[in-house]
Amino acid sequence: MAVYQVSLEIGQGEFVGIVGPNGSGKTTLFNVISGVYYPEEGHVYFEDKDITRLPPYSRAPLGIGRTFQIPRPFGSATVRENVAVGAMFGARGGKVGVEESMAIAEKTIDRVGLAEHREKAAGTLTPVEKKLMEIARALAMSPKLLLMDEAMAGMHPNDIDQMVEFIRKIAKEDHIAVVAMVEHIMRAVVGMAEKVIVLHQGAKLIDAPTKEALEDPRVIEVYLGRPKEVQAC
Amino acid sequence: MNKRTHKYLPLFPVLAAYIVMFIIGDNVAGMWQLVGMLAFYCALGQAFNIFLGMTGYVDFGYVAFLGVGTYGMALALTRIKNLEAFGLGIIPIGLLLALVMGILLSLAVGAVALRLRGAYFAIATIGVNEGFRYLIEGAKIWNGAEGMIFTAQMNEAFGRDTASAIMTYWSDIFVLVIAALAALVTLVYMRSKIGYALTALREDEDAAKVMGVNVTKYKIIAFITSAGFAAILGAVSWALKTPYVFPPEVFEIHYTVEAIIIVLLGGAGTLLGPVMGGLVYGISKYYLSIILPGFQLLIFAPVIIIIILLFPEGIVGMLKARLKGTSLESFVI
Repeated sequence: MAVYQVSLEIGQGEFVGIVGPNGSGKTTLFNVISGVYYPEEGHVYFEDKDITRLPPYSRAPLGIGRTFQIPRPFGSATVRENVAVGAMFGARGGKVGVEESMAIAEKTIDRVGLAEHREKAAGTLTPVEKKLMEIARALAMSPKLLLMDEAMAGMHPNDIDQMVEFIRKIAKEDHIAVVAMVEHIMRAVVGMAEKVIVLHQGAKLIDAPTKEALEDPRVIEVYLGRPKEVQAC
Repeated sequence: MNKRTHKYLPLFPVLAAYIVMFIIGDNVAGMWQLVGMLAFYCALGQAFNIFLGMTGYVDFGYVAFLGVGTYGMALALTRIKNLEAFGLGIIPIGLLLALVMGILLSLAVGAVALRLRGAYFAIATIGVNEGFRYLIEGAKIWNGAEGMIFTAQMNEAFGRDTASAIMTYWSDIFVLVIAALAALVTLVYMRSKIGYALTALREDEDAAKVMGVNVTKYKIIAFITSAGFAAILGAVSWALKTPYVFPPEVFEIHYTVEAIIIVLLGGAGTLLGPVMGGLVYGISKYYLSIILPGFQLLIFAPVIIIIILLFPEGIVGMLKARLKGTSLESFVI
């Protein structure tokens, strides 16, 4: 069992970091929220609606967007087409046509700073560009809740700071609640999250404001191990 | 030129190819038979591309839809009494019956098989084709293994001269029309949400789902459309052109393999690909069978492997790369 009896609540526009070592159940939790897996027990509510058994493609139109740990671009399609799919089938779904979606896509691409790559095949982007494109794709869905799976993994520290700044800005501008999942890039969490949830072996270890959570001895123990008495040699 | 017509520019090379084929066949002595065969391969590719090319799912049982379409036309001609009263009206009835039968079969197959992915889907669809053939033979449906021959009925319905003109001339023109219609529908899909949904699910089905694409719905749309075209193609090319139907001939997996080759050779998921693939495959097959009869498959197999290795995106994929940035770019998709 990857995740067991984890309850959490995410407020409107709130920025939550989910932290936990490898195998602690972060991705499983995301998969349950976005509908890739259905839980055996328990419920998922979104805006007071029980969505536990809703397929993922019915959750996206409600306003749940996500990015993947390893970017999953629609490789042969252009960046613009990738992002337009988000506009077409996300929370705007049904209300915007193809041309309008293209216009939304262009604006969103400009926002994440990929304007010059618009017509490139998404598969040819660099890993960092792919991450930005996934964020653009999720933003074009016009989400109320954005789940970001390791958005900063593998990035240069300078890029991380920029990315953190950028995500915080758009979340505020668009009133998006963001749940960012992080394995070990703590500076990203400290920079963004108002609240941190620490998972450990599939269970919730702590759920507290960021600073408090990261200073908690239990969290330190999960990451660094129990301090041992130094033995004289 | 406004944006609306601009959207349909890529249709020009496709339609031009079909018109040129017709003109050559109609004016150059001895070419009509070759043109008829090429038209069939182009139409087969164009119809199959809507499913294989746009979704990336390989349906090894595709020929079953041509098979039931053939039966649709055959049933119209053999089961309706008083054929003379209907005259040529029997053709639209047969086409409609073929279309309905093709769509019903595709719904039945799609509901089960489209839940599977990759190789599992491919294997399940082989089973469907073989299963359907043995069902017809074993349960003696529609004359079972004996099949149906309906030359007499065609003569009765249309008159001897008209029947012969339909078999040798009009059926091939119908096939060209079917190919053109399939191309038109392909382009309409490509330019609409359906096309974007299909591209998304072809590239990454799980990512598409999470982004709000109801993948099952769009797969079924592509499947039914593709099957519908296959059914009327069967009705025209296999029933009107050659007025008989035997289960082992119309449920022959060989045609599915040819369809796959044509789509991959031309460029899966492209509009012009099936035309290119159909022409290259058809012409090579025709001339190889003259130059080295019996050896054509032996030669053709490695040639196809080499072409697919060199141009993984097919002939049109290569063309697109060449034309990028030129004024011809918007004609080739």
